[in-house]
Amino acid sequence: MLRAYTAAPMAAYILRRLWQMVPTLLGVVLLVFVLFKFFGGDPAEILGGLNASPEQIASIRQQLGLDQPWWMQLWIFIQQILSFDWGRSWATNEPVAQLFATRLPATLTVMLPILVLDTLLAIPIAIFVATVRGSLTDRVIMIVTTVALSISFLVYIIVGQYLFGFQLGWFPVQGWSDSLWTNLTVYAPLPVLLALLVGLAPQTRLYRSFFLDEIGQDYVRTARAKGLGEGIILWRHVLRNALIPILTNIGLALPGIFVGSFLIEVFFSIPGLGREVLLAVNRSDYPVIQAVTIYVAVLTMAINLLTDLLYKWVDPRVVLK
Amino acid sequence: MTPLLSIQELQVGFRMGKLPPVQAVRGISFDIDAHSTVALVGESGSGKSVTAMSIVDLLPDNAERRGRILYGGRDLTQAGAAEMRALRGREIACVFQDPMSSLNPVLPVGLQLCEPLRLHLKMSPRQARERAEALLAEVGMPEPKRRLDAYAHELSGGQQQRVMIAMALACEPKLLIADEPTTALDVTIQRQILELLAALKARHRMSLLFISHDLGVVGEIADRVVVMRHGQVREQGAVAQIFTAPQDAYTRALLACRPGLSGPPPARLRVIDEFLAGDDLAPQPPRAAKDPRSPVLLEVRALAKSFWLRQGLFGKREFKAVRGVSFRLRRGHTLGVVGESGSGKTTLGLTLLRLLEPSGGEVHLDGRDLLETGPLALRRRLQIVFQNPYASLNPRFSIGQTLVEPMAIHGIGAHRAEREQRARELLAKVGLDGSAFAKYPHEFSGGQRQRVAIARCLTLQPEVLVLDEAVSALDVSVQAQVLNLLRDLQDELGLAYVFISHDLGVVRFISDEVLVMKDGEVVEQADAAQILSAPTQDYTRRLLAAVPRGWRAPLTP
Amino acid sequence: MSAVLERSEGVWHAAWRRFRGDRLGMVCSGVVAAFLLMIAASALGWVAGDWQREIGVSSAPPGFVGPRAVESSIATAVPRGPNADLSDVDPLAPRYKEWDERAAQFRSVEIHKLQTLPLGADRLGRDVLAKAVKGTEISVFVGLMAALVATFIGTLLGALSGFFGGRAGDLLEWLYNVFTSIPGILLIFAFAAVFGRGIGTVVLILGLTGWTGIYRLVRAEFIKHAVRDYVRAAQAIGASAMSRMFRHILPNVSHVVLVQLSILTVGFIKAEVILSYLGLGVPVDQVSWGTMLAEAQSELLLGHWWQLAAATLFMATFVTAFSLMTDALRDALDPKLRGLE
Repeated sequence: MLRAYTAAPMAAYILRRLWQMVPTLLGVVLLVFVLFKFFGGDPAEILGGLNASPEQIASIRQQLGLDQPWWMQLWIFIQQILSFDWGRSWATNEPVAQLFATRLPATLTVMLPILVLDTLLAIPIAIFVATVRGSLTDRVIMIVTTVALSISFLVYIIVGQYLFGFQLGWFPVQGWSDSLWTNLTVYAPLPVLLALLVGLAPQTRLYRSFFLDEIGQDYVRTARAKGLGEGIILWRHVLRNALIPILTNIGLALPGIFVGSFLIEVFFSIPGLGREVLLAVNRSDYPVIQAVTIYVAVLTMAINLLTDLLYKWVDPRVVLK
Repeated sequence: MTPLLSIQELQVGFRMGKLPPVQAVRGISFDIDAHSTVALVGESGSGKSVTAMSIVDLLPDNAERRGRILYGGRDLTQAGAAEMRALRGREIACVFQDPMSSLNPVLPVGLQLCEPLRLHLKMSPRQARERAEALLAEVGMPEPKRRLDAYAHELSGGQQQRVMIAMALACEPKLLIADEPTTALDVTIQRQILELLAALKARHRMSLLFISHDLGVVGEIADRVVVMRHGQVREQGAVAQIFTAPQDAYTRALLACRPGLSGPPPARLRVIDEFLAGDDLAPQPPRAAKDPRSPVLLEVRALAKSFWLRQGLFGKREFKAVRGVSFRLRRGHTLGVVGESGSGKTTLGLTLLRLLEPSGGEVHLDGRDLLETGPLALRRRLQIVFQNPYASLNPRFSIGQTLVEPMAIHGIGAHRAEREQRARELLAKVGLDGSAFAKYPHEFSGGQRQRVAIARCLTLQPEVLVLDEAVSALDVSVQAQVLNLLRDLQDELGLAYVFISHDLGVVRFISDEVLVMKDGEVVEQADAAQILSAPTQDYTRRLLAAVPRGWRAPLTP
Repeated sequence: MSAVLERSEGVWHAAWRRFRGDRLGMVCSGVVAAFLLMIAASALGWVAGDWQREIGVSSAPPGFVGPRAVESSIATAVPRGPNADLSDVDPLAPRYKEWDERAAQFRSVEIHKLQTLPLGADRLGRDVLAKAVKGTEISVFVGLMAALVATFIGTLLGALSGFFGGRAGDLLEWLYNVFTSIPGILLIFAFAAVFGRGIGTVVLILGLTGWTGIYRLVRAEFIKHAVRDYVRAAQAIGASAMSRMFRHILPNVSHVVLVQLSILTVGFIKAEVILSYLGLGVPVDQVSWGTMLAEAQSELLLGHWWQLAAATLFMATFVTAFSLMTDALRDALDPKLRGLE
């Protein structure tokens, strides 16, 4: 399988992809800039606060460079991004870079276990559901997942927190600590459990459809014609093919874990990036929102590239162009 | 001597939800002897594939079997799942029609080859790999050791089919079921695969159940022939007898309706329905000669079409699909264009109509340069009928809408009622009922849809019609009807045809002049009669030799 | 002559026939239809128009649970007996009688607060049932409108990109890449930070950020269909590009778009709920399922579960019925289109 990777075309491909990322990145920067400049409130007024005098606002404006023509401001913005100077939060005056450094680990401590467990659980469940397709069990499972999907995530968290934390006392209702181990074993389990519960229904349905698509293919008929049992067909033949859309799916979900599930972080008072962005939105803290948006965009593009490279490993038909 | 496999009164139906089950096979019986080849022949919908699949129980979940299938002393319809699994691949093996989709795309070919060896013969991985390599060599695969690690998409169609055959042979089965194994392949590759199958059957002393719709192929390879229609057996017997003295009217019709390659081409092809009704028993008169002094309508000089493919980091590569094709087409005549897949013949047709922009060359219609003509004017004079009748009509348009649309675009007819009237007249001319006007394409068969496509072209009163494999997707009997229709229209309206096809028999029937193409170039170009009886080029000779001729009586020594 | 056109069964007619045979689908359509009627009635003000009136006691339990036992909320004991007479030292004493007469002239309305309501009351005493109905109207309206906006944008852009390819396609792909590089929630937050609250803005935000899925799908469909023979044939008879895109291809793609619209509606309803919960959605003077859930969280700790239950029940019923109806719709539309393959 490693034969699929040969040096020169691979390097050419990566270079071409990096080259193609530039216009997209520029587009993201442009989008964020235009959004906040032309639709957002006046930063000088926000920073100045409700009681600022006109002179104070004017001086803030000059400090921020807002009296310059818009293309100049765009250029300053781009320079800031390239030099990794994200400024300071307007609300707390904390450097945004430090904000990233401190909040990201908390988010990842919760989100990575969720992603890993989600995928690991969904595959066997989907195989099971694909095996019983067409039967009454299948129909029942589909209806149950539909109902489960119709209830908002909010309800699950509210009830879950109330039931497991408050009433039964199995987990702490909220909280976070400085130790990774404590976080993983004491504070993370309840949110992870709830997120898994909610994520199970849609993942199962999605993966079930992937498996059913593959089971209907001609090569499965050939495998049966050779006398292979259904089990081997599922695990050796179908799973390998179904991995392709599954990989796509994981690749799409991966960038999301950096913002984390802000709901979980809000409910359980976890000091993660998602909650930070939410606070920033409520406080009109533009630097934080802008910085997070742009850097998560960069991360997304990097993850896309990685996923595409991974495709080649899983699907030999892929020709990286 | 007891036969190897005996099918008795087999019935297969498919449950369709709440509707009554559809009977695909209604009580058929035939035997397969050891070391013999039995061919199941029939048109689409005859139930031949269903019969074969029901032997090994590879039917979809909603199928119901009744009857008996006796093999090795037991009834396979009563066998349990585990018993059938032990049988499949070991004693009864299958080769399917489309090798590309029948092989797992993400697993190397060698692994798939080893599977039956390790499962049934309990070989170790190394033993299995050695045997797999030997099998690939046996089926004529070049560089078998390297190919073991190849993936399906890296092999050509013919090579993929060889892999499928090797997989089927792995455990030395007693019966090999081949379901249209050569239908998707080019005619020269088809010849190779047929010879391979015959040789393997002789060497391994196994039986072959060969399913096909092509009597020519069947005649060359079978010992016994079973003719099926609508889920029933019409006739069965030794191949010599079926070809020389068929008893059943349908068999006779099938034999007679093929456009053959010997003798002068008839004026009309026989049609199965006329045959069965007993109408058409007199031999067909040969075709009247066309006027050789007809004015030249279409003149093409050095027409070329290239595609640009991306290569490397920023480069482009040119792929020449059509390289310098020249010909002259007279009014009322037909030019046949023959070639295998990849020869560029379809691209030629599309380029003539400027559906693809030509990269070079000139096209003159009636003296006027077509490349200078505006697109709308061009469309009125040149039209095209596509290959796939199921894809060339918009499924959301009624037949009436489909026919009226071109007239509306070009402003033919003063108002809507007049256009609808014309549309109905054209429907009648192509042999369809007026009630078809309000119906939708899915209610019609392939042959009827092609007639609608022809009618659509005629609404614009074109002078040249390009037929891109227009009858290739149709059954033999329907094909004959459409070809007769095309002939009649040509005589009546003075149309000129560019008839593109890979089927030499059909091309011979309808063409006056023939162009043979390979890799975008014209290999040979001459009168139809001359090219088919005395070809000068090597490639043309190979092409002619590869066409299955059916059964021929052995020459007495 | 031009005879009466015998009406033949088109694709939609066949799909409707198949849909009718699916019992679960029909039941769910009935439920959805009932909800839509309720929403229409609520929008016209016939029901739940007065949801803001505080007609019950604070957190009144639902009728089937029974009224709360009246607890003594006063810590200290109230002395009984008449007040001590202070008229000799009270400077205001002579004016009392005059004031009492004056006061008697004003009519005061005795608001009798109900002890129980059909589905209970929230903290302010508002009828939970009325809130649930009104909330349904707002949440479903926002979800549907946003889905329509997103579908329109996605379909138009996807058609142009898939059909033409080339430069236009590249430009639209660039736009798509820009929008999908930013995770959805982040994009919504960014828009919300800038645009603020309000029903119109929520519709706009969700619509402007949610078009990418449909764009991808419609583009793939148009790419697939643009090389099909029937489109080539349309080109061969001289149909214009616009005609080929919207008269020929679009009707063959409309079933995909319809199913996506339904899926988007469900997704946007759930998104609106979360947005309103966070205070970024509907304004304060409106109610939606999200605002009800926001209140419900603190109420739950006091043991008042009815608002949570009402919001969840209405939402679960509607969304489940809608989802199952969409599944049935997709099954009904699917088989016939196979004839195209």
